[in-house]
Amino acid sequence: MKEKTTRASSNRRSAFFLLRFVALLVVFYVVIASRPVNDAVIVPFTAGVARVSAVILSGIGEKVSVAGTEIRSGAFAVNIENGCNGVEAALLFGSAVLAFPAPWRRRVLGLVAGFAAIQLLNLVRVVSLFWIGAHRPALFSASHTVLWQSAVVLFSVLLFLFWASREQRTQAAAAVGAHGPSEGR
Amino acid sequence: MGRPKAAEPPAGTRLRLDGRAAARMAAGFAAGLALWFAFAAPYDQTVAAAAGFLIRTFESPAVTSLSAQSGEIRVDRSDFPPASPRPGLPAADLHFNFVLLVALFAFVPRPLEPARFLRFWIAAAGLWAIHVLALVFQVESVYATRLGAWSEAHYGSFASNLWAGGFHFYQIAGRFAAPFALWWLLVRPEIDPRRPRSEKR
Repeated sequence: MKEKTTRASSNRRSAFFLLRFVALLVVFYVVIASRPVNDAVIVPFTAGVARVSAVILSGIGEKVSVAGTEIRSGAFAVNIENGCNGVEAALLFGSAVLAFPAPWRRRVLGLVAGFAAIQLLNLVRVVSLFWIGAHRPALFSASHTVLWQSAVVLFSVLLFLFWASREQRTQAAAAVGAHGPSEGR
Repeated sequence: MGRPKAAEPPAGTRLRLDGRAAARMAAGFAAGLALWFAFAAPYDQTVAAAAGFLIRTFESPAVTSLSAQSGEIRVDRSDFPPASPRPGLPAADLHFNFVLLVALFAFVPRPLEPARFLRFWIAAAGLWAIHVLALVFQVESVYATRLGAWSEAHYGSFASNLWAGGFHFYQIAGRFAAPFALWWLLVRPEIDPRRPRSEKR
């Protein structure tokens, strides 16, 4: 009987998480896809990603220039679009963190740290894809569509699971502290 | 008074974030890539056939046919002028997220256990249905927004926004979220609050 109740409550928690996750994803999508937010936030942010990537590419010996969201060299040019600026992975991560039951302060800390980590990996992705496009063009399409997009999204899922496990640990420790050590056995 | 929630036995699948899980995920990612590269062409054909059937079911007259060739879904209409070019849609963008699904299911302990393997195939079937729907939205968004005067004559602003917005949602968020949501729904992961072995002193 108790096991049935536990299973039902776990199913409910799981379903509520998924519903909140999907609802948040739709809301965030509507916000970032709206023209004012796209023009005032997403495009300048993407241009920033292009500039930082160009600095790194220059550091490794590539002669590149930047115009808006486009990075170009004599051999290759790439335009960073939505889907390649790390915002899509951040959207997934942010929706999962906000859908997960946790105190707001730790959610915000998780969001900030996760966003920074995703953007760091995305810089590696943009720089490596530009290098591949310039020096191994035959590998660009598969690297761009399948390898890197999947890797960045898997990374954001792993980040979420890591954050959620830490969160569970904190909650478990707090529960044991509140009920006394014998309650947790 | 009952035990604290975190100490309850798990009803879903207990996950531990440790080196083994990471290795399983990496192996799953590699296996997913191999499967995807090996079967992308026949998979394109099933998705194109099902999406073409759905589109023809709801259009009058039924003139659309979709075919898959060389990594593209070719859109044809019997009322297109014979000499006009046919739109080709990149198929990989639509369904590369299969690789994510395999990697996520491999993350779970003992992923090849029959019950878990069955859940993976149920999720893969769900993802196939999502790919079919996404292709329907993509084709309709081409009809609604990319065929100039023909688009304006046949699609109002609500329909254009619905089809184009639906496909854009899939491109930006849906294709990444779908494998995660299917995985979560079918695995119901219970994240183990204990420290991984490598973190223990």
